Amino acid sequence: MRLGDIAWRGLAARPLRTALTVIGVALGVAVLSATLITSQAATEAVRRAAQELYGDADLRVRAFDADGFTPRSITALRQVPGVLNAAAVSEKRGVVSTTPSEDDRTFSLLLLGVDAEDEARMRPHELATGEFLDPALPHGVLVNAGWARQNGFGIGDELILLGHRQGVPNVRIVGLLEDAGFGALASGSVMVLNRDFLAEAFEASAETPVPVRYVDLQVAADRTDDVQAAIDAGLTEPFVVETVADAEAQLDRAQAGFAGLAFLFSMVALAVGAFLVANTLGMTVAERTREIGLLRAAGTTSRQVLGIFLRQGGAIAVLGSLAGVLAGVALAVLLIAFLRSTRAVLVTGVPFHPGAVALALLLGGLVTLAAAALPAIAASRVSPLDALRPSRQPGRTLRERLPWLAALVGGALLVGMAAYPLDRGRGSLAGVLLGAGILLGGTLLVAALLQPLAAVVGRPFALFFGAEGLLGRANLGRDRVRTALTVGALTIGLAAVVALSAVSASARATADRWVESILPGGHGVRLGVAADIAFMRPEIESITGARLATAIVESPAVIVEGDTAREAWLAGIDPTAFQDEGALIFVEGRRAAAFEALRGGGAVLVPEPMAAREGLAPGDTLRVGLPGAEPVELEIAGVVAYSLPSRVTDGALLVSLADARDAFGLTEAELWAVAPQPDVPISAFRDALEETARRNGGQSVTAAELADQLGRSLGRLIGLFDVLALLAVLIGGLGVVNTLAMGVAERAREIAILRSHGMTVRQVQAMVVTEAAIIGAVGGLAAIGIGLLVAWTTVTLSGPREFAAGLAVPWVVLAAVVLLGIGVASAAGIYPARAAARTSMTDNLRHFE
Amino acid sequence: MPAILEARDLVKRYPVGSSSVEALRGVSLTVEQGEFVAIMGTSGSGKSTMLHLLGGLDRPTSGEVVIDGVEISRLDDESATLTRRAKTGFVFQFFNLIPLLNVAENVALPFLIAGGSQAEHRARVDELLELVGLSGKAGNRPDQLSAGEQQRVALARALATGPAILMADEPTGNLDYTTGTEILDLLWDSCDRLGQTIVLVTHAAHAAAYADRVLVVQDGAILDEIKLGRRRDHEARPLIARLAALGL
Repeated sequence: MRLGDIAWRGLAARPLRTALTVIGVALGVAVLSATLITSQAATEAVRRAAQELYGDADLRVRAFDADGFTPRSITALRQVPGVLNAAAVSEKRGVVSTTPSEDDRTFSLLLLGVDAEDEARMRPHELATGEFLDPALPHGVLVNAGWARQNGFGIGDELILLGHRQGVPNVRIVGLLEDAGFGALASGSVMVLNRDFLAEAFEASAETPVPVRYVDLQVAADRTDDVQAAIDAGLTEPFVVETVADAEAQLDRAQAGFAGLAFLFSMVALAVGAFLVANTLGMTVAERTREIGLLRAAGTTSRQVLGIFLRQGGAIAVLGSLAGVLAGVALAVLLIAFLRSTRAVLVTGVPFHPGAVALALLLGGLVTLAAAALPAIAASRVSPLDALRPSRQPGRTLRERLPWLAALVGGALLVGMAAYPLDRGRGSLAGVLLGAGILLGGTLLVAALLQPLAAVVGRPFALFFGAEGLLGRANLGRDRVRTALTVGALTIGLAAVVALSAVSASARATADRWVESILPGGHGVRLGVAADIAFMRPEIESITGARLATAIVESPAVIVEGDTAREAWLAGIDPTAFQDEGALIFVEGRRAAAFEALRGGGAVLVPEPMAAREGLAPGDTLRVGLPGAEPVELEIAGVVAYSLPSRVTDGALLVSLADARDAFGLTEAELWAVAPQPDVPISAFRDALEETARRNGGQSVTAAELADQLGRSLGRLIGLFDVLALLAVLIGGLGVVNTLAMGVAERAREIAILRSHGMTVRQVQAMVVTEAAIIGAVGGLAAIGIGLLVAWTTVTLSGPREFAAGLAVPWVVLAAVVLLGIGVASAAGIYPARAAARTSMTDNLRHFE
Repeated sequence: MPAILEARDLVKRYPVGSSSVEALRGVSLTVEQGEFVAIMGTSGSGKSTMLHLLGGLDRPTSGEVVIDGVEISRLDDESATLTRRAKTGFVFQFFNLIPLLNVAENVALPFLIAGGSQAEHRARVDELLELVGLSGKAGNRPDQLSAGEQQRVALARALATGPAILMADEPTGNLDYTTGTEILDLLWDSCDRLGQTIVLVTHAAHAAAYADRVLVVQDGAILDEIKLGRRRDHEARPLIARLAALGL
């Protein structure tokens, strides 16, 4: 046997503790590697999606005007010198229905019109089955394979385009698109069809052709700049030129939240794992002080002792990291499958990068070894005299260990930053780092303040559980550092759950408030196409049970300042209807005066994000115009918390319907807000609304449904991270098992004394489980404070649009987190409790002569 | 005087590998109420095993133990624990106070274990602390007490419920002579003044000399019984002479 073998024997001698620690490290590394892999899948998906959407196109020329490009402009673009191929894409939201049958169903789809031959040359459309579009079969269409499967459609099935003119044949599915490129747009609710057929189908009924939104251009090598200059000089209609890089950046920004959360949770998992390793090896050193002293007395150098403990840390690091990477790949498969199913984040299949696996191994190993370093150093400092002392030397104080732990966590954070791409989107780096800082800093603070916290939180347990509660509470003060680290590890995961739930609830509250404030009456109908307001009004007003029907016109617009114009969105509303129904939340300007100003004309309401960013206030003026038209000067009458959704992120500028008509020439509306009569059954009203929507190729909407949709997609993403946070709680639970098992072993004689004084086996078990429950309760309560602070910071630092309703406190979740903490810790306490119950009285009460 | 503790033909075997070691070989004894009995023997003689069986901490391989009319050796663990709680008190070599409870809480521990509260038994705790001379230290933590004071607290705790019998296993083994004598004086006083029945296990003759009767144990059996009677002087020389005659 060699001296180093003591390290392995030390691990083997405490199989449960070793196994739990390895599992803890493995779970931490699993979360780390799973988020690394998933994050990479998202990055790759962004690149792939951008490439699939662009195909061979070098430039995308996007029409700024709602009417899109005219045929003349498209021809002009085709003829620009250096352009090898041009593919025009028309776009419209439409409703399709099944052919008449008992099972009559309708679907809202994004309709994309393409020129089959140009399109085939521009993009490699991946088909799951069937054929690509053929100009010889004009009514052939492509749909997403997943959508088709979900709704029971296949090749050859026919669908009806609602709202089309008379005499247009039904469309027939000729091919099923893979979940990529055009097939992935609109979450797969997409139909690709021949552009000419699409234009013909709606031309007569809508009085406006289906607009060509963009034209993709394939450009000869090194001619991109020339082509762009020629377009700038030659195209008279307003346009924007985009590149693949622009699309990638846009998609990437959309995923910034995911990347930030992934980073945060990796840090949480790493930190909890580090806490566990530090605590476990610290226990082992305390337990083996006498043995180490004997080794030192026999001539073992402190460096050799250090080596023994570092070997133990190394073995745990290697075993835990290897197992963690394997588990992480499995977890990543589940995460990616989940994300694909919810479409909350764009992800590809599971990417395999040896680099990611190596990085996870390296990070896991380094953090574990770093966590093992302090106990190893403590072991190397054990004096030979310690072997001769009857009682164990007191461990290091928490104050001595806190700086080291803070350094460890800070180091893990830096390593994590090196591993994660955090340059996505505004403020994501600062926000995530601040969130992680509060989470970890707060946890260390709780560790430092554990004793007063435990004294307060443990009081009800002591009152309720009598001697078991009193002793359980008292036991927490026995080894304060160990208990503090255990509570800290449990707290961090629970705090993450609280933070996620509070952020989710806040986003949901914002969505509710937003939707309710912009849809007077709470119900609406979006027609298949924009239609003249005066023409549609009688039909909308005749909806059974409708008390009020008000049109909302929408249009792209520009805000002109000097020689520059920037993109905006304009909506015309009926001020009286909005005022009477209590719609819109004013953050600046008096409500009555603002509506009066709208009615008077020449006034505009500005969404808060825009006002905050640009320093706009009531009384200021804006020059607003439609693209290509002369701008109109409007005075800001008020600033609203939420406005109607638009293609620009701020929301729409709101003017009166009269101004929309007279100053901007907008007379057609797609969206109508409808309020029900109080005495009409809501189901009858909804049916009538639904019927009118269907008849006009549109859909009915309610404020509740819209809010639910907005909240649900966020909820799914948050739910995913909740799972990761719960894994961190599980790791914390393993720490509780280790700590209590060690505590029970140390207190064997004391437990025997209690037994001799009449404490039953059940009472002993209850004492240990109560001790665990108090740890869980302290962790849960501390987690509420820390988690809410993280959520508040997130809400405060985010843009006013994301969390305008402020921090919503999820009370039920808070109670559940405390119960979860108590439950996990109590479950973790069962094994130590059983061990305590098996404590032999006679073995532990023997005297020495 | 009626017998408060009876042991009949106690045998205790411990398995060692495939065979077993006989720690007690058919021990029988009776302790009367109010009696102070010492069990004395050399290391490994079986005296502690005997105390564990007599106190219901362990179960005999065969034979029976009856404490205050209850045959504890036949009871399951739960019932034996409840019997122990009601009828016995223990003092051990290591005082084993709960470090995070104060003196009064440690003394009240048997009441707390039984489901009571400290407030309900405050008067009894105060009385016991006065008995052991620690009235002014009710709020102190164990680590603020000397070794002798800690053992006094352990003694008060053992007497808290007014047990039928007090078992003391080398209670002076971790104390210096003077402090140990103070503890023995307290034990004797509680027996003589309060009528507390005491069984003391010790290897020290000066401690055993406090007893009314000394059972000398050797090789798992009672070698001899030495009756000293109730004496105020606790003089050890007569006992030492008897032990010497036995070749011990």
